Amino acid sequence: MKRRKFDPAALPAKTAGAVDDRFQVATPLRKLLNKVFPDHWSFLLGEIALFSFVVLLLTGVFLTFFYEPAMTEVVYDGSYAPLRGTPMSAAYASSLDLSFDVRGGLIMRQMHHWAALLFMAAIVVHMLRVFFTGAFRKPRETNWIIGSLLFWVGFLAGFTGYSLPDDGLSGTGLRIASAIMLSIPVIGSWVTSSVFGGEFPGTIIISRFFIAHVLLIPGLLVALISVHLGLVFKQKHTQWPGPGRTNENVVGERMFPRYALKQGGFFMVVFGVIALMGGLFQINPIWYFGPYEAWVVSAASQPDWYVMFLDGSTRLMPAWAISIPIGEGYVIPPLFWPTVVLPGILVMISLFYPFLEARHLKDRKHHNLLQRPRDTPARTAAGAMAVGFFLVLTLSGANDVIADKFHISLNAMTWAGRIGLLVVPPLAYYLTYRLCLGLQQHDREVLAHGVETGIIKRLPDGRFMEVHQPLTPTDGHDGHGPALDYVGWVVPKKMNRLGALGPAIRGFFYPIEKPAEAPVSPGHPPVEARPEREEIGSGESRR
Amino acid sequence: MSTHTEHQAQRGPEPLDVNDPRLSRFEIVEEGARRDDIEIVHYEPQVVPGSKAERRVTRTVAAMFLLTGLAATAFLIIYIWWPWKWEAGRGGDKYYTPLLGVTLGIALLGIGFGILTWGKKLLPKEVSIQDRHDQPGSPEDRKITGETMLYMADELGVKRRPLLGVSLLAGLLPVGAVVAAPLVGGLISNPHKNRQMFTTGFAGASRGERIRLIREDGRPIRPSDVSVGGQITVFPGIEGGVSNKHADSPTLLIHLREDDAQKSREANARPEIGHAGYMWGNYVAFSKICTHAGCPASLYEQQTNRLLCPCHQSQFLITDNATPIFGPANRRLPQLPIEVDEEGFFVAKSDYTEAIGPDFWERP
Amino acid sequence: MTSDNDRRRGLLARLRGRPVARSRGRRRLGAAVRLAAALMLAGGAYTVFAPGVQAQDNPPLTAAANEGKALFDVSCVTCHGRNAQGVEGRGPSLIGVGSASVEFQVSSGRMPMARQEAQALRKPPQFTDEQVRQLGQYIQELGGGPQVPQGNNLHENADMAAGGELFRINCSQCHAFGGGGGALSSGKYAPSLRPASDRQIYAAMLSGPQNMPVFGDNQITPEQKADIIAYIQETLKHNQDQGGFNLGRYGPSTEGLAIFLVGIVALVFASLWIAGKS
Repeated sequence: MKRRKFDPAALPAKTAGAVDDRFQVATPLRKLLNKVFPDHWSFLLGEIALFSFVVLLLTGVFLTFFYEPAMTEVVYDGSYAPLRGTPMSAAYASSLDLSFDVRGGLIMRQMHHWAALLFMAAIVVHMLRVFFTGAFRKPRETNWIIGSLLFWVGFLAGFTGYSLPDDGLSGTGLRIASAIMLSIPVIGSWVTSSVFGGEFPGTIIISRFFIAHVLLIPGLLVALISVHLGLVFKQKHTQWPGPGRTNENVVGERMFPRYALKQGGFFMVVFGVIALMGGLFQINPIWYFGPYEAWVVSAASQPDWYVMFLDGSTRLMPAWAISIPIGEGYVIPPLFWPTVVLPGILVMISLFYPFLEARHLKDRKHHNLLQRPRDTPARTAAGAMAVGFFLVLTLSGANDVIADKFHISLNAMTWAGRIGLLVVPPLAYYLTYRLCLGLQQHDREVLAHGVETGIIKRLPDGRFMEVHQPLTPTDGHDGHGPALDYVGWVVPKKMNRLGALGPAIRGFFYPIEKPAEAPVSPGHPPVEARPEREEIGSGESRR
Repeated sequence: MSTHTEHQAQRGPEPLDVNDPRLSRFEIVEEGARRDDIEIVHYEPQVVPGSKAERRVTRTVAAMFLLTGLAATAFLIIYIWWPWKWEAGRGGDKYYTPLLGVTLGIALLGIGFGILTWGKKLLPKEVSIQDRHDQPGSPEDRKITGETMLYMADELGVKRRPLLGVSLLAGLLPVGAVVAAPLVGGLISNPHKNRQMFTTGFAGASRGERIRLIREDGRPIRPSDVSVGGQITVFPGIEGGVSNKHADSPTLLIHLREDDAQKSREANARPEIGHAGYMWGNYVAFSKICTHAGCPASLYEQQTNRLLCPCHQSQFLITDNATPIFGPANRRLPQLPIEVDEEGFFVAKSDYTEAIGPDFWERP
Repeated sequence: MTSDNDRRRGLLARLRGRPVARSRGRRRLGAAVRLAAALMLAGGAYTVFAPGVQAQDNPPLTAAANEGKALFDVSCVTCHGRNAQGVEGRGPSLIGVGSASVEFQVSSGRMPMARQEAQALRKPPQFTDEQVRQLGQYIQELGGGPQVPQGNNLHENADMAAGGELFRINCSQCHAFGGGGGALSSGKYAPSLRPASDRQIYAAMLSGPQNMPVFGDNQITPEQKADIIAYIQETLKHNQDQGGFNLGRYGPSTEGLAIFLVGIVALVFASLWIAGKS
């Protein structure tokens, strides 16, 4: 037999054949390559969280090479002169070394911290998107629950990480955490003592937090994120209503190549933004805080932003202790309500919201089409109420900084927060509800009468009226066509949006003229729908 | 709707023969999509191959990739040669991290926007429609799966042999406890060992030992060390007194003005407080650990005699025995009874007479 | 009253140009100094309790103090009264506050006050350094009190690390780790340390202006004060930080603001562009 010459061009095909022989991947791979994803900017918010988690893993692994999770006392002898000779824990000393004696260590630390803040911020923004568009409804309740858990697990990851450098600020945070545990009725002192291995601060808490922060919590996060993504994949992404879009299909782009390319590019953009922030904005300058000493504190001691709402609720809480005069007497301190009960209630509400809403509306249908926030005024208003509540608490968490920088009395800030907490959420509910109804009304008006043209006409009898451009062919009777049904999607409200899904002028920041040449090429012939498929209409009504 | 689309698929043309040499590659791709219930309804190249527009976008993308290379090289050069060791005041070292961030950021954004532009501007736009197929299984399939599971349960025969179930449960419960035992048993620590929650580093004073108030550097304190309107953080003069080992012991020693001290003495003498004799002269000592959440409450305002805690803004009135007058704290700061020994240094008369720090269930 | 005596002793020693370190000679001076202090106290008390006594009864003032008195009678007398005895409801007595207090309040522009409010604000100073010195001299000669040592640079060869340690124990609770200041109760606040000069920081520690506690020389020795000043001036005052723009050193509150205003906003714009039609 003649020996064949080695042909490099045939190599990919041969390799692919060999792989398929062994793993039978051709069919599943085709399905994967062909999977269709709907495209909308708000569907990319969750990706920001996912990508910052990847950055967290990368930078975090780097940090573990240098960080020493021990509370043994050492005397600092590194490059940072203003702390040289100061006794401190090995954890704090190694964090200082990371910042001053490891080349490029500081930017890694800062990127890690910014990525953590971005992770939590993106989770919240993504959750708001999911909430306000009704994407959590059946069949996606499970993924909503996993998403809510991701926020709280991320919260724990953030808090344990914040505590690791063992600097003055994080030690103050730990002290407050121990007080929160102490405030739990009956078992409080036992819980605290068990977590800290004795009296606060003990010598073991940093090692325990370290293993939680680098192994247990990331493991849990990876598991939850995998299931979260797996479910999105399995259940297919929701989509906005629109032409051709129904509850039973997905309209968008196939995963490869364009969609995947965009995702890859977006990862790099997220990574790049974190790198820029990590380099340009200083975060958590632990060298100013000094080592943790139980008697040292700073004005404006705050936790990271996603914990700040609990700090705020603690500041606003009036000094109401409950004394129980049994035996020697027992006490439930005021700290218990805003820091244990409140987050407990918030977790429960967020976990069960999809079921509560479905039960209230007696809604058992599958929903793959999103709702515009204005079309569900009650839900939107409830969401605005929650946002208002969270904002008042978060601002109160920084009320001393606000008081100082804007020359407001600190006590006045506390009272403003207390009153605001009662007034702002209902107000937000009412205003949002009215706003939604108003927007709905306007949509219906445009559908019935057409788009305002801005042309004012004077009628023969002297009246003035504005000319409306109807959205349907008129029947010549009174200038009105048949009334259109609202289909849950954007109604054109300006003349230049008529007949186009997107704006008529293209370009993001400045208009780009459309090339005159018709883009047709032999390799990519224009594709039309198969003739037997009905013409794409205005889509199905959202119900 | 699902059956509807299935019918449609069946009515459609026969599957293409993908080995037909006349088919273009795109037609094969389209056929593959069709087999996955995907219809490519719109596929529009954005640029004509070889056109000016294509060349322009290609150049833009290439420029971004080259920018990445440039920025990455700059990163390496700065990383290796820039003076980066800390120096006091201003200096080049303060630009090290920002420069690394800018170069790394530009490098990453260059790749990112390069890829994005490639995908957005050069690849054809498409609209594809895929059927969801998210209906539950057919009633028949549901029945088969259900029956299979019930059949398995029947085979195991837990119902017929209840002893198996009960004994399995009885056996597994302790196993669960065994899993939890080392965790709970290892971690658990008695908070009331040595009455640690009720005593501080000054406990020796209650047993008759002489425990001086010392500064952070270990020197004992004379009354003359603290000026009128001054405050100083003091610690128990014992082994490890100035360390986190005695995180509950830091104390604030305040030298009040004469009239304020008089008010304070009157407040101390009130029967419900019963701290008469806790002050020495015009000096008063309170725990520095806030009774709310344990932060060091140490923002002493010498004219208003308020003590503010920076963590949650609890405010205590020193002249009224450190009663909370604002904020979330509900308990007075514990007071340390002090006097001056024969050598003229401050000592604790006894330990604190109540638990210091944040409240807990069994405190009273 | 021991503490007052001690402080006065140190001050007198410095007035005579002696080093502040405890020396045998200084202790020998004890008796004389105590006598002087007692006289001074008595004088101070006399002036306080006998408002009718006129300036002629006081010992003659030095030339600088006379200049200061002239300035005082123009700018300060409204609130602090003739001979600085204070006016009920307007301004406190300045007898015994010393030149340190005058120097802090006047050189930082806090005095003269524009209006009565919770706390005097830092303003551009209304007097030259020379005039401040003269005012200080006048108040010093009226009633004695703490004084700031000579020179504009008070932190030469001081130990930054020791100063940092002291700063965190004694100062950071109000002025914050970064020296940017912080809020106190009911509209009062601890000011930022960044605009403060060596002499002002020293004077503030000595005199305890407004609600700031007094840190006398027995509590924080002059050397330690120099250490603290070194730490503030060398590490906190520079607006340039190791990790880039410091976001005002307000801690997590501005960091949280930044992640939304910069991070989230930038990435939402990026996703708008990515998913956009153009």
